[in-house]
Amino acid sequence: MIPAKFDYVRPSSVGDAVQAMASGGEDAKVIAGGQSLLPLLKLRLAYPDLLVDVGAIAELRGVVDEGDHLLIGARTTHHQLMHDPLVAQHCGLLAQAAGTVADPAVRHRGTIGGSIAHADPAGDLPAVVLALDATVIAQGPGGERQIAARDFFVDYLTTALGPGEILTGIRVPKLDAGWGYRYEKFHRTAQAWAIVGVAALVRRSDGQVAEARVGLTNMGSVPIRATAVEAAAAGASASSQALHAAAANADEGTTPPADLHGAPDYRRHLARVLTGRALEAAAGV
Amino acid sequence: MELEHSFTVPVPLERAWEVLLDVERVAPCMPGATLDSVEGDDIAGRIKVKVGPITMTYTGTAKFTEKDVAARAMTLEASGKETRGAGTASATVRSELTAADDQTHVRVRTTLNVTGKPAQFGRGVMTEVGGKLIGIFADNLAAMLVAEPAASQAATPDARLESNEVRPDIGAADEALPIDVLNLGSRAWSSLRRDGIQTLGDLTRRTSAQLLAIENIGPASVAEIKSKLADRGLSLAGTSGSHRPSGSTAKAAAESGPASLRPVHEANGDRPGKHAADDVAPVTPLRPPSTAPADSATGQHGQVASTADREPAAWQPQDDAVDLLGVAGLPVLKRALPAAAGLIAAIVVVFGLRRRRARRS
Repeated sequence: MIPAKFDYVRPSSVGDAVQAMASGGEDAKVIAGGQSLLPLLKLRLAYPDLLVDVGAIAELRGVVDEGDHLLIGARTTHHQLMHDPLVAQHCGLLAQAAGTVADPAVRHRGTIGGSIAHADPAGDLPAVVLALDATVIAQGPGGERQIAARDFFVDYLTTALGPGEILTGIRVPKLDAGWGYRYEKFHRTAQAWAIVGVAALVRRSDGQVAEARVGLTNMGSVPIRATAVEAAAAGASASSQALHAAAANADEGTTPPADLHGAPDYRRHLARVLTGRALEAAAGV
Repeated sequence: MELEHSFTVPVPLERAWEVLLDVERVAPCMPGATLDSVEGDDIAGRIKVKVGPITMTYTGTAKFTEKDVAARAMTLEASGKETRGAGTASATVRSELTAADDQTHVRVRTTLNVTGKPAQFGRGVMTEVGGKLIGIFADNLAAMLVAEPAASQAATPDARLESNEVRPDIGAADEALPIDVLNLGSRAWSSLRRDGIQTLGDLTRRTSAQLLAIENIGPASVAEIKSKLADRGLSLAGTSGSHRPSGSTAKAAAESGPASLRPVHEANGDRPGKHAADDVAPVTPLRPPSTAPADSATGQHGQVASTADREPAAWQPQDDAVDLLGVAGLPVLKRALPAAAGLIAAIVVVFGLRRRRARRS
């Protein structure tokens, strides 16, 4: 279908983009890779008056080493995340999860910033940045703002980004070599949304789990941390049995949606099983 | 999909029953809802739902199918159609009231059914959103019932203002305040600014007719401005421009209802995760006006102009009915063009032939 009519601007700097957003008011929308927004436009579910294409803003693309963390530009594509040496070295979880997103065509266009700003609860990267304790950087009329990932996702397709604010990048703390990671994604057809996804990070020391972080995809209207699992796993022995026991709490505090792909109870079950698998893989047992 | 909500309001059963049946007063509690007409039990209106980038507008009708005074139960059946698509939504809302001392406990059971693109695309969005909308509705309703006594008192001065008997003096301090303090919707705000209205003093010197004359300011915006001024005990100058279908006291009371509701919406606006439902309500005026500069480019789009104004409080008949040409667009005319041209050509040819024959004979 052909989208409803809209105005289009393609600024070349973040400042211009913020200005364009301000002039567009409430019905202006940022477009980057367009892999989520274009389908909405074509289905005529979204009717923005103005699209601000950030595709010409070079500074938003790429990964920069900033000492104890990485600054990932909002326009960095999934494909780039998969193949970036800095990402692979310091937050491999992001690279692995990016590799599970849709298909190569989408991964070449779709961006991390877009994925996070769109805040689809079935999107893979939101749960990953949540597990990584990343910080989202937004630029708005009032200047730059840093938002912790745990405060960023507010509701279904709704984030803490204010009107006129543009997500410019994500700051991800570097993880040292002691950390293992795994993103488990379950879907029944190739290249589908996750019915449930689990992002797990485990730090081992002396045969024990020193620290675990678990982010859940599509187990509610926003990505959430499985805090019960994290508490149960911390200090547990790094054995398959102990990790699966910890994973039994994975659905605690979740309100999974019901849709064609599964009932809430099914999702709860998936969350427990996938969390067990993800923890195992992350702990290397 | 079945949903259940319940809430308790600190008014006696009789009062709660009365209010719940008053559609004009209850409708503004529904985020994004606008009433088009109320005739007896038949209600026509529309609702705009915004979820992230997704916007859905439904127009439809509702009707009370049950008003059981003895059992204190009422059922409202509503059904609507998407204005820009083929989707439909229908809901059966049954409310049961029970008295508990001086309070009333209201139990709302809703059966919601959504079809079409939003339902298909949504992967469960509609369920989620529907549930949240009704949750907000219940909250607002409770808030309105709580605010009721105050509202009916406020109605008296308000009604007098309508008839221009009393005009409160605007204090010098208020006069100098920028219109920003009213927290108007961005469209109203920027339109006023464009017209050189900077302070409350500037604003209160205008009549509603003068405001209506400003580009992009419609009845809904004027109503918004009025009610926000009323919140501060202020009013517009004169009344010549009263655009209301009726200036009766009852109407004024109904107006005060939504006005007293506004804090609820605004409280919803400053999020961090209270009721998760809060955030489905971006249709309500959550946005600080400062984010839209006066030279807002969107002013050129007629349709947009109305959406910004259309907030729950502005339930009065809208000035912007769905423009069929705007929806179907020029393409319809264009498509008809070849056919029309062909027809005209044929008529010309026939006409020419007849004249020639007439000359020959």
